[in-house]
Amino acid sequence: MTFLIQQTLLYAVPLMIVALAGVFAERSGIINLALEGIMIFGAFVGVLFVHTMQSVPLFLNAARSGNWLTLQGLELLAMLVAAALGAVFSLLLSFASINLRADQTIGGTALNLMAPALVLFLIRILVNQNTLMMKTGDAASWFMLKKSTFGIDKSTNIGFLGETFLNKVYLATYICILVFVVLSIVLYKTRFGLRLRACGENPQAADSLGINVYKMRYAGTTISGALAGMGGFVYALTTANCTANGDVAGFGFLALAVMIFGNWKPLNIAGASLLFGLFKCIAAAYSSIDLNGDGVFLLAELGISSHLYRMLPYLVTLAVLAFTSKKSRAPKAEGIPYDKGSR
Amino acid sequence: MKKILALLLVLAMALSLVACGSSKKEEPAAADSADAIADEMTSSDGKYEVAFITDVGQLKDKSFNQGTYDGVKLYAANAGKSYKYYQPAGGDQSTDDDRYDAMKLAVDNGAKVVVCAGFMQGTALEKAAKEFTDVKFIFIDGWAMGMPNVAGVCFQEEQCGYLAGYAAVMEGYTKLGFCGGGGGTNAACDRYGYGFVQGADAAAAAKGVKVEMNYSWLYGSSFQASNELQTMAAGWYQNGTEVIFACGGSMFQSIAAAASAEDGKVIGVDVDQSFESPTVITSAMKGIGEAAQQALKAAETEDSWKTFIGDGNASIVLGAAQNAVGLPTATWSLTGWTVDQYNTMLSDIVAGKVTVDGSDVPEPASTANVTMNIVK
Repeated sequence: MTFLIQQTLLYAVPLMIVALAGVFAERSGIINLALEGIMIFGAFVGVLFVHTMQSVPLFLNAARSGNWLTLQGLELLAMLVAAALGAVFSLLLSFASINLRADQTIGGTALNLMAPALVLFLIRILVNQNTLMMKTGDAASWFMLKKSTFGIDKSTNIGFLGETFLNKVYLATYICILVFVVLSIVLYKTRFGLRLRACGENPQAADSLGINVYKMRYAGTTISGALAGMGGFVYALTTANCTANGDVAGFGFLALAVMIFGNWKPLNIAGASLLFGLFKCIAAAYSSIDLNGDGVFLLAELGISSHLYRMLPYLVTLAVLAFTSKKSRAPKAEGIPYDKGSR
Repeated sequence: MKKILALLLVLAMALSLVACGSSKKEEPAAADSADAIADEMTSSDGKYEVAFITDVGQLKDKSFNQGTYDGVKLYAANAGKSYKYYQPAGGDQSTDDDRYDAMKLAVDNGAKVVVCAGFMQGTALEKAAKEFTDVKFIFIDGWAMGMPNVAGVCFQEEQCGYLAGYAAVMEGYTKLGFCGGGGGTNAACDRYGYGFVQGADAAAAAKGVKVEMNYSWLYGSSFQASNELQTMAAGWYQNGTEVIFACGGSMFQSIAAAASAEDGKVIGVDVDQSFESPTVITSAMKGIGEAAQQALKAAETEDSWKTFIGDGNASIVLGAAQNAVGLPTATWSLTGWTVDQYNTMLSDIVAGKVTVDGSDVPEPASTANVTMNIVK
C-alpha cells in the first residue's frame, strides 16, 4: 500500500501542477498548448542547473557528508530556476498570442515542436550525447528523503503515515502540493484571481471596469509557464533519475487532458491526476503490487496481459472524458485574442 | 524601436549558434585511458580512417557503445590514426536505412575500417560490405557473413552471466532479478540472462539454498532508461528482491536509481559499472573495447587480417578462454566469494570442467534450485 501511494504521488504530482499551469493560462483566456514544450524546457534547465552545481564544493561536500538541508536547498533552487526559465520560455507564447494576436493553438504547437529540438541541440553541444545526466551520483542519493536522512535506523518502523510520507520521498512533491493549494486559493479567493478569471470569461466587461486585460493575460501565461517549467523539472527529478533528454513522456499533453477532465477546477484536477497516476503506477508495477500485504500479488495472478495494464491509464482517461465532457465548460473567451475595438 | 529589438535578438541568436558550432582542434595523442581521449577529433585532411557506428542507445551509455568506442579511441590514438563516431539517425527507432546511411557516410569520409556495434546492424552491414569491398568491417556482437572484408566478433556472454549469478548467490543473495534489453530478441542479452540463471542455480546447489528470480524483458526493447522501468524495479526491491542484473545499456540508469532509493543492489553489464553507482556489487563484463582494439590492429595489414578472420565464414568467438569475459577483479567488493575462488571457477570454465549452455533461451524455465518468475 505504501509503495502504491508513493509511486502514485510521483506520477500524479507533476501532472497536477502542470494541469494547474494550464488552468492559469486558460482562465486568463489563453490556450496554453505549449505545456509539453515548457515542461521539456524546464526539465532541461533544472537538470542542467543541478549538473552544474554538482561541481560546486559546497554541494559536493554536502552530498559526501550527508548534509541533507543543503541538498534540499539545491533542489529548491533548481525548482526555482526551472520555474523562472519556464516563465521566460512562455513569454514567447504570450507575446505571439497577446501582442501579435496570433492563433494560440498554432503558437503553442510551435513551442512544442521547438522545445525538444532546442533542448536536444543544447544537450548535444554540452555533453555530446542525447541525455543530460547528473554529474555524479543519482537523484535518490542526492535528493531523496529517507529514514536514514533523519538519523532513524532503516529497520525501525515509524508507522504507516511516517513510512508513506516521510520515507523515500522527495521534498519537491510536497512543495508542489503546497504551491498547488496556495495558487488554487489565489485563483478563487483573491481580487487578482477574480480579475484573471474575468479576463477569460468576458474580457470586454473586465476592460470596461478598468482591468488591463493584456496585463492579466500576461500574468496568467507567465504563472502557467513557471508552473509548467517547475513541473517538468519535478517530473525529471522524481521519475527520470534527474535526467533530461527532450522528452517528458507526453505528460504535458496528459496534463491538458487532466485539466479538461477536471473541468478547469483545481480540486477536480487533483482528483483526476491522482486517478491517472494510480493507473500509471499499476501499469508499471502491477506484478509487484501487494494490496493487503498477504504476499499474494493479485494483479499479476489474474493473468491479464501486461499490454492491457499499460493501456489502462489512457483507456480510463478516454472513458472518463467521454462521460464528463458533456458537463465540462471551458472559459468562455479562451482562444480569442483580445481586441479593444471589438465588442 | 521594435524592429531594432527584433534585429538584435536575431543577431544574438545567430551569434550564439556560431559560438556553439566552433569546435576545438584536437590532435590524437597517445594515451592509455580512454576517457582522456576526446570523443570528437578534427583531422587535418577532413578524412577519418577509423569509423565507429553506434548501436541503439547513446554513445555515452557507460556500457556497450561507450565500451566499444573506448577501444576504438585507444587504438586510434595510440596508432596515430584519425577516428570518428557516427550515430545512425532516428535515435532508438533507427532503421536499416539509417544505419546504412551512417556507414556510407563513414566510407565517404575516408574510413578504411568501420567498427559496427550491435547485432541489429547486420542487415545494413551486409549491404554496405558488399558495396564497399575495399573497406574492412568489424561487427562487434555480430556474426561472420562469408565475406572477406567482414569480421564477425561475438562473445560467450553466458559465461560472465554465469559468473555473476554464481557470485550473487555465493554472496548470500537469494532473491534475484534480471532486467534485460532487446525484448528477448537480442541474442547477447539472452545469453547473459540464461547464463545468470545457470550460475545462480549452480551456486544455490553448492550452498544448499533456494533462489527466487524475477525475470523480465519489459521496458527494455530500446535499451533506454524509463520511468516505468524505474517503477517496476522499485516494486521488485520493495517486495524483497535484493539484487537486479541490469542487462542493457542505459537501462542501468533506471535500475540504479530504484536501487539507490530502495537500498537494493545492482549487477552491471558489459563494462565495470561500479564507478557509476555505489549500488553495483559486480559487473558481467565482456571485452568489447579489447576486442575492437585487437580487430583494428589485425586490420592494419592484409596478412594479419586474413589470419584474424580466416575464410570469413566463421565468427570469432571470444570467451573465458580468450580472457574476454569475466567479472572485474580490480574493484572486487564481494566478501562471500573471493577473487581466488572466482579465478578457480574461471579456469574451470576455460578447462571445460564447468560448462555453461550458451543457447538462445529468452525465458529460462525454473530449475531445481531456482524458481523463475517471468514478468511479462
